[in-house]
Amino acid sequence: MKTIHTILTTLSFILSAILSVILLPSCEDFLDLSPSNSIPSDRAITDAGTLRAAVVGAYSQLQDYYSGSYVSLGVMPADFVSYNGTLSQYLQLDQNAIPNDNVITVGVYRTIYRAINSANSIIASVASIDDPLLTQAEKDNILGEAYFIRALAYFDLARGWGGVQIQLKPTETLDVLKGIQRSSQAGTYDQVAADLAEAERLLTDDASTRNRAQKATALALRARLHLYREQWDEAERYATQVINNPKYALVEPYEAFFTAPFLTEESVFELTFSLNDRNSYWNMWFPASLGGQYTLKPSDKAVERLSDPDTGGSRNAAIAGTGSNVYGRLYNTAGQAIDPAYVIRIAELYLIRAEARAKKASPDLAGATEDINKVRARAGVPPLTGVTGAPALIFAIEEENGVEFAFEAHRWFDLVRTRRAGEVLGITNTDFWLFPLPSSDILSDPDVTQNPGY
Amino acid sequence: MGKLVYQGIRLLPVIFFFLHAPLFPAYGQTVVEGSVRDDKSREPLAGATIVQKNTTNGVSTGPDGTFRFTVQGSLPLTLSVSLIGYHPGEIDIYDASEPLVVSLREATNFLDEVVITGYTVQQRKSISGSIVSLNVTDAITDSPDQDINKLLQGRASGVQVLSNDGVPGGGVTFLIRGNNSINGSIDPLYVIDGVFVGTGGGVSYPGGGQAASNPLADINPADIENISILKDANATAIYGSQGANGVVIITTKRGKVNTKAKIALNVSRGWSEAIRQFQAITGPETGQLVNEAVYNTAVDRGIDPSTVTLPFPDYASLPTYDRISDLFRTAASSTYELSASGGTAGSSYYIGLGYTSQESIVKPSGFERYSGRLNYDTNLSEKLKVGTSLSLVRTYRNVSNSDNDPTGVINSAIFVRSYLPVFKDDGSYARYGAFDNHLALIEHLDNNAVNWRTIGNLYAEYAFLPDLKFRSSWSVDNSELTEHNYSDTFVNAGVAAKGRATARSTRSLVYTAEQLLTWIRSFGSRHSLNALLGNTVNARLREQATVTGSGFATNDLRDISVAAITSGSATTSESRLLSFFGKAGYTYNGRYTLEGSIRADASSRFGKNKRWGYFPATGFTWNAGTEEFIKKLRIFDALKVRASFGYSGNQNGISDYAALGLWGANATYLEIAGTSPSQLANPDLTWETTRQFDAGVEFTVLQSRLNVNFDYYDKYTYDLLLNVPVPFRSGFEYYLQNYGAISNRGVELTLQSVNVQTKDFTWTTDFNISHNKNKIVKLASDITMGASGRNASILREGYPVNSFFLYKQLYVDPQTGNAVYDDVNDDKLITFADRQIVGNALPDFTGGLTNELTWKNVSLNLFFYFQQGNEILNMQDFFLVHGGTQNNIGFWPRQLERWQKAGDVTDIPRLTTFSGNPNENGGAANNYGGTVANLSSRYVDDGSFIRLKNISLSYRLPKTLVSRLRLGDVKLTASASNLLTFTRYGGLDPEVSAQSSNQNTAGYDWATVPQPRTYQFILNITL
Repeated sequence: MKTIHTILTTLSFILSAILSVILLPSCEDFLDLSPSNSIPSDRAITDAGTLRAAVVGAYSQLQDYYSGSYVSLGVMPADFVSYNGTLSQYLQLDQNAIPNDNVITVGVYRTIYRAINSANSIIASVASIDDPLLTQAEKDNILGEAYFIRALAYFDLARGWGGVQIQLKPTETLDVLKGIQRSSQAGTYDQVAADLAEAERLLTDDASTRNRAQKATALALRARLHLYREQWDEAERYATQVINNPKYALVEPYEAFFTAPFLTEESVFELTFSLNDRNSYWNMWFPASLGGQYTLKPSDKAVERLSDPDTGGSRNAAIAGTGSNVYGRLYNTAGQAIDPAYVIRIAELYLIRAEARAKKASPDLAGATEDINKVRARAGVPPLTGVTGAPALIFAIEEENGVEFAFEAHRWFDLVRTRRAGEVLGITNTDFWLFPLPSSDILSDPDVTQNPGY
Repeated sequence: MGKLVYQGIRLLPVIFFFLHAPLFPAYGQTVVEGSVRDDKSREPLAGATIVQKNTTNGVSTGPDGTFRFTVQGSLPLTLSVSLIGYHPGEIDIYDASEPLVVSLREATNFLDEVVITGYTVQQRKSISGSIVSLNVTDAITDSPDQDINKLLQGRASGVQVLSNDGVPGGGVTFLIRGNNSINGSIDPLYVIDGVFVGTGGGVSYPGGGQAASNPLADINPADIENISILKDANATAIYGSQGANGVVIITTKRGKVNTKAKIALNVSRGWSEAIRQFQAITGPETGQLVNEAVYNTAVDRGIDPSTVTLPFPDYASLPTYDRISDLFRTAASSTYELSASGGTAGSSYYIGLGYTSQESIVKPSGFERYSGRLNYDTNLSEKLKVGTSLSLVRTYRNVSNSDNDPTGVINSAIFVRSYLPVFKDDGSYARYGAFDNHLALIEHLDNNAVNWRTIGNLYAEYAFLPDLKFRSSWSVDNSELTEHNYSDTFVNAGVAAKGRATARSTRSLVYTAEQLLTWIRSFGSRHSLNALLGNTVNARLREQATVTGSGFATNDLRDISVAAITSGSATTSESRLLSFFGKAGYTYNGRYTLEGSIRADASSRFGKNKRWGYFPATGFTWNAGTEEFIKKLRIFDALKVRASFGYSGNQNGISDYAALGLWGANATYLEIAGTSPSQLANPDLTWETTRQFDAGVEFTVLQSRLNVNFDYYDKYTYDLLLNVPVPFRSGFEYYLQNYGAISNRGVELTLQSVNVQTKDFTWTTDFNISHNKNKIVKLASDITMGASGRNASILREGYPVNSFFLYKQLYVDPQTGNAVYDDVNDDKLITFADRQIVGNALPDFTGGLTNELTWKNVSLNLFFYFQQGNEILNMQDFFLVHGGTQNNIGFWPRQLERWQKAGDVTDIPRLTTFSGNPNENGGAANNYGGTVANLSSRYVDDGSFIRLKNISLSYRLPKTLVSRLRLGDVKLTASASNLLTFTRYGGLDPEVSAQSSNQNTAGYDWATVPQPRTYQFILNITL
C-alpha cells in the first residue's frame, strides 16, 4: 500500500516537473488570449457580414442617445416638462443651470461622437471591401445610411452645443484628433448638409421602412436643417417632397403613433426598440405607484394646453393621471420597455413648411395656415381662427409645435433657434442657450474651447 | 501558555529528584534554601523573586543567586520563581532538607521569532523585509466580525482597513502602505496555504457604487493560525507582478506529529444594534420649510410673496410618519466552531467545521457561512512528504440595494417626506416620487446570493538531500456564486413588469501550479546560505450567465422558466500569468545578511511587445545586537537594522483583453447583432511598476519588556495603468496607457510592551501607528468622478488620490442668507473653474492600541482603533439639505439651521428654488441649485475617530474544576464592540465608504448601513 502511494506521488511529481518544462517553449501561445464577445479592430469591417453589423452598430449608437437623454435635453430646459425627481442632473437642465459635467449633456455628447466614429469607420472602409456577396446597391445603401447617421449626429451636436470639432476619419489611433478645432455652428451645419447630400444620392426609398434611413429620411432631415438655417425656400421645398410622399400621413387618433406596434405612417424616422434591446425611458415619466421614477413631469402649462380641447384635443392622450399626479405617457410600454425614439414625424414636416411659408421672403400665410390646420385637425382641434398677420401666425406655429411635440426633442431647440428662449422662458443670458462642452474634454483636449458662460 | 509548559518540563528532573527522596511528614514552619541559575549558562541569577504560591510570603535572591526563607504551612507546597527577562517557573517542594536549585530559561527576544515569508520561513533576525506577523489569537477572533481582513484593522502597522458599511460580510477596503494605483487594483495578494486566492467576483446586485461583498469573508478566521503581511519590496518582489500592493500570507492551522487529538469547541451568541439612527424632521417642520422656500423663491423672482399660494397654509396640522425605526432591528448573530487536530508518527491533521450567522442591523440583510476545512500532511517516506489544504465554504447573503438607488431600503425610508403616509387608504403600500416603499422592500424584496467556494491545495515535497528540497504544489480557488433577485408586484421594480426575476451564476476560478526548489546550507559556523528557484503558472477564469424574466402569473411564482418575457446572456473572460523566480540569502556569522531576489512575469493581458516584466529586489540586515560594542551599552537586548530596495508589479484590475483594439459586438438594433468600436489598441501596454525603499530598525530594551519596530518607506509607482481621458470626439472615453506616477511615503511604529509580569498578573500593551502620505506625481489631466456623475472626487497632479472636488463655501451672508463661495479665479462669477479640492478621504494616521490585563484566570482585553485626518462627504446632507429644490425629498435636521432673517449666522443658506443668474456669487441660485448644484464643502466633514473597537472580558475555569469535568480548558468571554466612539463626524458613523467599488471614490457616506454596536458571549471548550 505504502509503495503504491510512493510510486503515485513520485509519478505526479515527475509529471509536474515535466509539465512546467513543456510550458516554456509554448509560453507565447499560452499567453495569447482573445475575447469571445469582441472582434479585433483590424478585422472589424472586412466583408459583407461585418459591414452590415457595423451599420447596425451605428444605429445602435443613435439609439443610445435618442432613447431618452436627447429627448430630455430637448424638453427639460424648456417649459412643457418640469423636474419632479431626485436626480439632480435633471434639476440642472430644468433650471437652465447646467454645469459642464452635467451627466446628461456629457453622456449625449460622448455618445453622439461614438455614433460619428462608427459612421466614419463605415465610410472609410466601404470602398476597400471586396466581397462577391456585397452588391454595389447594398454598398451604396449602407454608405448612404452611414452618411445620414453622421449628418443626424452632427446636426444634434450643432443645435445643442453650437459649432463643434468635425471628425471625418475613424479613430484608429489618437493621432487623427490632432489640430482639429471647433468649427462655427454654420460650419457644422455645412457638414450636415454635405453628408445629407451624399445620403440623398446614395439612398433609395421603399414602401415600408421607417426605422432605417431612406432617401425620404434624408430629405426630411434636410428640411429641418434648412429651417434651422432659416433657408425658408429650401425648407419648404424639402418638406413638400416628404409630405407628398404617399408613404407618410398624419395618423388618427393622435395616440396611434405611440401605441404598439408603432412604425405608423406618421413616422418618417423612428428608432425601434425591442425586448432584447430595451428603452426604459418610460421609467422617467411614470410615477412610482406604476413602477416608474417620475423624474420628468408635464408642467402645469403643458397639462393646461394638452387638456384644453381647443389646443390639445386628442393630444391629451399624451398625459394621464389627475391633480398633482399627472404624468406623461408618450413613452408607455412599462412592462416591456420597447418605446421607440421618435426622431422625425410627418407632423413636423407640416409645421416646418408652415413656418417656412410664413417666414419666407414673400410669405404664403394661407399655405402656412393650411399646414397648421392639418396638424390641428388630426388632433381634433378646431382650425385657427382670428390669427391675422405673419407674427401672429408664427406664434401660433410655435405654440402648435409645443403641444404637438410636448415630450419630444423639439421645444427647447425651437425656442433657441427662433431666439425666443429669452422671452418665453426668461433665459435672457444667451450664453445659456448652448450647452457646455464636457469638463473632461476641456481638461484633456488642447484643441477645444468652452462655450462662453461656462 | 506553551512556554510555561515547557518550563514545567525543564523542572521535571528537579521534581523527579524530590519524588524519589525519602518522604517524611513536615510540620509547622519549614526553612527553604537554594539558588536560582540560568538554565544554559548555569550562572547564578540575582534579584529573582521567590514567592510561596497563594501567599504574599516571598524573598529575593542575593547577588550570588541564593535565597533562604521560611515557608508557611506544611509540605508539600509550591514556590513561584520569576525574574525579568526569564520565563517564570514553579517548583513543588516535598522535602526541604536539601538546598534547591531552580533553573530559569531566558526569555528569547522577538528577533528569534519565526516568520513566514514569501515561500519560506525565516527567523526574524535575518529578515531584511518589513513583515508583520500576527498569530491569530482569541483576542482577535473574539470580535464579532467574521472576515479575516476586517479583523486586521488596527492590528498591523502600515495596513489600513476600513469596512465600507456595517453589513456583515460586506465590502472592505484594505490598503497596505497607501493607494498605489488609479485604474489597477489596489487589493493586496492574498495567499492562503500557498493558494493565490481571487478577490474579484463579489455579489453584483446592490445598486450604486458599493462593493457588496468581501471575498475574504469566505474564510473562517477560527481556522487561521498566522497571518504574515509583506509590505516592502524585498519581501514582496518574490511575488513579482502580484506583489505591488503587498502580500497577505494566511496560514491555517495544521496538526503536529505525535500529538494526541485536541478537540476544540467555540460557541458564541451576539446582539447588534445601531449606535445612531438616521433622523428625519417632523411633518409640520417639513411643511414650514417648504412654505418658506416657496415664499423666498417668490421674493427672489420679484413677485409679491403675499400673492403666492403656500403649499401648506396649515402646516402645523401635518401628520408625521416614522419610517426610520422600521429599518433598524436588534440583529442576532451566532457562531459555532468545532475543530480537531493532532497527529500520529508519520502524519498530522486539522479538521475544522464552522457555522456563523449574522443579521444586519438594517433589515433585511444578513450573512451566513458554513465552513469546513481539512489540512493533512503525511510522510510517505523519509524523503517524500505529501499533503493537502482543503477548504469548502458556503456563504449565504441576503442583500438589498444601497447608496445611489432610490428604490433601496434605506433611501426609501429616509428620503420620503415625513408627512406622507406609509400606506394608502386602501392599506396598500404608498410610493412617492422615485422612491419605493421601505416596508414593501423589507417585506417583499428577495435578493439572495449563495457562494460555494473551494480553496484546495495538493503538494508533494521531496528531499533530495536534507538541505535540498523540491516542492510541487497544485492549487485551485473555485468560487461558484448564484444570485437570485426577485421583485414581486409589491416592489417598485416589479410593478410595471408584473414581477421581475434575475438569476445570475458567476464562476471565478484561479488555478496555480507551482514548482519550487529550495536549498539551505551552512558552511562552518560562520557562513549560511539559502537559495530558492521556482516557477508558477497561474490562470484566472471568469464565467457569468445571467437570465432575467418578467411577467409572472402570480407573486408565488419565481422560476424564470414560467415568466412571460425572458432573456439571458453569458460571458467568459480569462487571463494567464507565467512566472519564474529566484531568491538567495547569505548570512555571515548570524550578524550580516544579504538577500536578493528576482522574478520574471509574463501576462496575457499585455501587448506582445511588452509582455514580460522583471522585478528584482535586494535587502540587507545588520543584527547589531550581536556586536560587542552594542552589548556593552547594556541598553539593547536585541537590535537589528535593515534596509531593502526593489521593484514589484501590478496587472490586476484591468480588463483581461486591455491591450487589444476591439469592436464590441453588443450593439444590437432591430434584433440584428451589430458591432461598434469599443477599445483602442495599445500593443505597448505593460506592467505598472512600484519601486520601494524601506529602512527599519527593530530593537528590544528594558530586559526584553519593550519591543520597538520602526519603518520608513518610500514607494514610487510609475507607468501607471491609467485610463487616460481622451477627447470624446475620438468616439472613446479613455485610452488605457502606462502613464502617470503615484508616490506613497510613510513611517510606521509598533511597540509591544510587557508592562507588568508577575505570577498572577500580566499587563501587556501593543501599540501601532502608521502615517502615509499619498501624492499623484504625474497625471495626464485632471480626472473627475464619483457621486453618480456629480464628480465630487478628483485625481489631480500634486494632490493625493481620493480628494474631494467641490465649491468651497466661505460663509452664508448674514444679511442676504445666500451662500458665498470661494471665487478661485477671481472673475466675480461662479463657474466650474471655481471648484477646488476641499478635503481628502485618506487618513493621515491610522493605528491601534491593545491592552491586555490578565489576573489569574481573568483577562481583560481593550482594543482601540483610530484614524485621523480624513474627510467624509455626507451625501445624506447633500440630498436632504436641499433648500426646497427637491419636491419629493424630505429634509434632514440640519436643514432647520437655515438662515431665516438678517443677522442669522449659520452655514446653511436661505431656502430657495430660484435659479436666475446661476453664475452669481452670493446669489440665491447657488444656495442649493445653480452652478454649485449643492456640491458645496458644507457637506464635507472631518472623519477622524477613535473607537473602542472591542473590549472583552474572559474567565478561564480553574484547572481543578476543568479536569474534574474531564475537559482540557474552558473559557467564558463577554465582549462588546464599538462600545465607545469619539468623533466629530456629524453623520451616523465615521467608518464608512459607500462608493467603494471604485477605489478612487472613497469617503462617501451615502445611505449606508452604519457600523453596529455588538455584544457577544463566547464559550471556548478544549478537550
